[in-house]
Amino acid sequence: MTGFILRRLLLLPFVALGVSVLIFSLLQFLTPAMRASLYIHDPKQLNALPDIIRKFHLDRPAYVQYWEWLKQVAHGDLGWSETAREPVADAIRGYFPATLELGAYSFACILALGIWLGTQSAVHKDRLLDHVSRFTSISGASLPTFVWGLLLLMVFYGHFGWFPPDRLSLAAGLFVRSPGFHPHTGLMTIDALLNRQWWIFWDAVRHLVLPVATLTYFLTAVLVRITRSSMLETLRTDYVRTARAKGLAQRTVVDKHARRNALIPVITLAGLLFVGLLSGVVITETVFNYPGIGRWGVSASQQLDIPAVTGFALIFSGLLVLGNLCADVLYALVDPRIRLQ
Amino acid sequence: MTAVRSSTPAIPLSRAPRAGRTVETGWHRTLRRFRRNPLSVLGAVIIAFFVVLALLAPFLAHPTERNPFMIPHSGYASDPHPPGPGHPFGTTEEQFDLYYGVIWGSRTAFVVALSVVATAVVIALLLGSISGYYGGPLDELVMRVTDIFLAFPHLILAVVIVAVLGQSVRNAVIAIAVVEWPTYTRLLRGEFLRVRDMEYVQAARALGGGDPHIIARHVIPNTIYPMLILASLNMGGIVITFAALSFLGLGAPIGYADWGQLISLSHNWIVGTAGDPFTFWYTLIVPGTAIFLFVLGWNLLGDAFRDVFDPRLQGSR
Amino acid sequence: MRTVTWIQRAAVFAVTVVLIASLGAATVRGAGEPVKNPETFVELRFGDAVSLDPALAYDIYSTEPVWPNVYETLIMYSGASLDKFQPMLATEVPSLANHLISADGLTYTFPIRTGVRFHDGSVMTPDDVVYSIRRFLLQDQAGGPAWLLLSPLLGVDSTRDDAGKIQVSFADVARAVSAQGGNVVFHLKKPFAPFLTIVAAWTEIMPRAWAAAHGDWDGSPGTWQKYNNPKTEDRYAFDHMDGTGPFTLERWDRQAKEVTLVRHDGYWRAPASLQRVVIRSVTEFAPRRLALQQGDADLVVASLNEQSKLRGIPGTVLQDNLPQIAVQTLQFNYKINTEANPDVGSARLDGAGIPADFFADLHVRRGFAYAFDYAANLGGAYAGRGVLPHGPIVQGLLGFDPAVPVYTTSREKAVAEFKEAMGGKLWETGFKFTIPYTAGNTARQTGAQIVKDTVGALNPKFQIEFRPVPSSTLNSLLFAHKGTMYFLGWFADYPDPHDFAQPFLSANGYFPVRGGYRNPQADRLIGEAVGTADPAKRKALYKQLSMIAYNDLPYLFLVQPVTYYTMRSWVHGWYYNPIFPGQYFYTISKR
Repeated sequence: MTGFILRRLLLLPFVALGVSVLIFSLLQFLTPAMRASLYIHDPKQLNALPDIIRKFHLDRPAYVQYWEWLKQVAHGDLGWSETAREPVADAIRGYFPATLELGAYSFACILALGIWLGTQSAVHKDRLLDHVSRFTSISGASLPTFVWGLLLLMVFYGHFGWFPPDRLSLAAGLFVRSPGFHPHTGLMTIDALLNRQWWIFWDAVRHLVLPVATLTYFLTAVLVRITRSSMLETLRTDYVRTARAKGLAQRTVVDKHARRNALIPVITLAGLLFVGLLSGVVITETVFNYPGIGRWGVSASQQLDIPAVTGFALIFSGLLVLGNLCADVLYALVDPRIRLQ
Repeated sequence: MTAVRSSTPAIPLSRAPRAGRTVETGWHRTLRRFRRNPLSVLGAVIIAFFVVLALLAPFLAHPTERNPFMIPHSGYASDPHPPGPGHPFGTTEEQFDLYYGVIWGSRTAFVVALSVVATAVVIALLLGSISGYYGGPLDELVMRVTDIFLAFPHLILAVVIVAVLGQSVRNAVIAIAVVEWPTYTRLLRGEFLRVRDMEYVQAARALGGGDPHIIARHVIPNTIYPMLILASLNMGGIVITFAALSFLGLGAPIGYADWGQLISLSHNWIVGTAGDPFTFWYTLIVPGTAIFLFVLGWNLLGDAFRDVFDPRLQGSR
Repeated sequence: MRTVTWIQRAAVFAVTVVLIASLGAATVRGAGEPVKNPETFVELRFGDAVSLDPALAYDIYSTEPVWPNVYETLIMYSGASLDKFQPMLATEVPSLANHLISADGLTYTFPIRTGVRFHDGSVMTPDDVVYSIRRFLLQDQAGGPAWLLLSPLLGVDSTRDDAGKIQVSFADVARAVSAQGGNVVFHLKKPFAPFLTIVAAWTEIMPRAWAAAHGDWDGSPGTWQKYNNPKTEDRYAFDHMDGTGPFTLERWDRQAKEVTLVRHDGYWRAPASLQRVVIRSVTEFAPRRLALQQGDADLVVASLNEQSKLRGIPGTVLQDNLPQIAVQTLQFNYKINTEANPDVGSARLDGAGIPADFFADLHVRRGFAYAFDYAANLGGAYAGRGVLPHGPIVQGLLGFDPAVPVYTTSREKAVAEFKEAMGGKLWETGFKFTIPYTAGNTARQTGAQIVKDTVGALNPKFQIEFRPVPSSTLNSLLFAHKGTMYFLGWFADYPDPHDFAQPFLSANGYFPVRGGYRNPQADRLIGEAVGTADPAKRKALYKQLSMIAYNDLPYLFLVQPVTYYTMRSWVHGWYYNPIFPGQYFYTISKR
């Protein structure tokens, strides 16, 4: 097992290298003037373009710029992000907790809701619950995340005013950034509880409801379908039929025998879910103006903030590799057949 | 989506042909199974509807611009207008007609999705066939490269590519094709591996048939069904990704007949006016419904294809 | 999982009810409701600051906290006036009458106020003033504002030449600005009429000791070159401020895009009324509006096409039709770089493209000028908010003259001009080209649509398209002289007609450098007009320049826009001066 994990971890630097090469090779398509525009906010600054190009070595060939960047990274410096107005590493450190909070709550909801609904759907096949959940899952897979998010915003924010966009309300935000509040983890819900500020906790939860609902819908739909068909499979197998024939209660059959095996393909899917989550986070954060890494990555890409884009891409691909590793480890734990390999 | 393999495929006794009935040919059997499932039929109907819409677009909504994909707009006022005479679905920001946008948007959707699939399939045929058929270090290299591309969350890779290449429909198609090709390549490679060791291929080789000949005549035709399943399940996803790119300002330009672009225009208006938050509901609902139905149709159709064509699922359901 | 029991169901139900009840629907604060957060003022705007260093900050989002709220200058605009000044960190406004401006216009003397303390407690001296201005001149970050003072004081636009080598010496700078007793004296290269107005906006004072103690230049002659053209992040003053203004910087949270200022109780005048000011950047419009509605924000900035959604909110006031010293133009590129250029078609006069010198033909330009529908542009792209300009000298500037003629929409005249264009061949051959415009800018998109519609209607062989490009691409096109027509705006650096005449009409002005317009007579007149202090003479010269702009027609002047702010009715003491980059919080109170 440890050997397996170590071998997979070795993949990380390899992937990081590949990803950074990919991004820098895309630089071939950019003129130096386009990249210099990052530092210009008005046409009256255009005369400074040659100066800026010279200053930041933007006219050197891509491989030279890549080499410079590698040397910089070797010293622990990921560069400066003009769009974030701070070093790339600081920006990542600052924006990551927000995305982590959103992602963690969403992941938990997806798993809980998806597995429960999928199981119930399979157990009560062809009854009302099954039809409702199958319809919801098909339609969930068909509705783009941002359309669903905008719909939710229109109804629950525009009309009812219950769940606003962004991460905190203005008043809560001011308090959180004042000296009276100690950020321990960077996760607003946890920090609010640790600081005993209940109103901030509720405020953070209020702001999380819609983004989590948006992010969850699509992936829950996928998970319900997989769980359902996997559960159906398992319920039809010989050993389940045996258990039923022995007279065991339905609940015991489902809980003790069927679910463990039915969850195996679900775990293999967990990696895919994680990928979907990372992609979905980008859109969701943009729709709800949620200050996380996804939103920052998009605006950095739009403005050609290359150091930021590179840092952002590295983080995401690193997360992906780690996520897949966890999924594989879990898979090995659950399925004894794998362990023997 | 991974197909679930059952350990003991159960063959229900009810499937055995009854004595006295003529044996149906393969296609008839396929069509009958297809027709039996109402959801498949629904999917087919929806897609057929959109195909008709796309084909008849110039008649249903007369183009007035040189580029028919640019939505005409009457006047320059910035606020959207509700459905009314001349604008059956209303107008969105800058007076772009939503009806025109929906009709021609179906054309855009097909063009984009088919372009991406075609590009990905071409790349997959080239790389997947070489990789799967010859194996060895070449195979390893191709697999590592696909690993790197798959290490990127899809949307983020697409965003980065379009940001660098510049915003346009063409570049968005390129970006999505770059995101999708690894999946197709891996599928095709898997199929090649499977087919390579089959008896009839070995026989053909023994008879002295050249490799490209064998690939073309024997291997490729047998991989069509899995590709068809993947493509049909993928069409909806591609359109969603393209719409997402347009929403982020990285896909179709403003005024282009694309559902995602129309939805991105609605972002500013979902809170309505001070009195009524639903004032501009149509800017979101109209293009949103179009995209939802399109993707739903392809998802249903793709599911149906998989149920019908995937021999490994036969007998289980 | 066991079947959910009814107890669990009830619990879930109860929790949900409590949750929803505690949320409460959005409440709208009407007029007459008590002031929310009476000590704190919250402004929500679109963009965020790039740098808080007064020597490097050049865009309005950066300069709003900088001036005049945290840093102050030697003299200040008097109230809402653009041409009357009052003393600030100097004790007198120099003029010819009080002999603080020399008769030849080359020497300006500013007596420096005593007893003024910086935020760190130290006392301001003429040495700090001299240091701050020399630092402004010599740091000269690429794309920064240093040229504004470099030009009149040293006669150059940059401390570096085209190859990047330093071209000024410390001795030049020391001569240009120096301390003499309790005064600071400026020596100009040539008489420069707008000098005082530049000083009023661009001479922010910081303490030398504070800067030097935090790694910045210490003012000595030998070391300044090391500090030239810094990277934004290299300066302590990037995110730390120490000035004399009524507010100090509490913190700049770059992730929340929020600048927080607190009242400076040791201010040299009466302290401000507000205890705290929060300037926050919110890119989405809807949250800005909601915050205003709920009273969480006191003032929001929004664009023209969002105004309809801000009308009629109870408890708020919409300050409308605030004039701006700015102009939006449509520019012709006289010499298009046709190499690898997607916008010029065949690059020949064959009906499928345009040649490189297409817009160098006056008849072509006149054709566009008469065809364009200015009223539709103002009404559609700017929601009617603004006025039609009479050339580059806009309303509010000395030399503005409503008698200067303008081009009005006339289909017949347009047809007549196009028929004479390109030696009479254009009408038969036709042309085709594309206008690139800044993506997302709906006003410019509308303008492009109007060009296409109006000119295209004259002759079916006239084919114009337009395409959106990201601003980085547009900058790249401008840089490479590849664009065909450009939609560009110009906002005043200082409220003097020279700041408009020079960029538009001078051979080395920003726009002629891009577009290729040249007129030596204009250069002469510009030089004359800036060199004399006599307002009457200047007026006459700028009138001549306006006529040149009309006759030569290098640009279509489309709109002089107005702006607006929406604020809660409990905001008092707010006033507007078009030259302010943002709000002046010193006079504002909430009650």
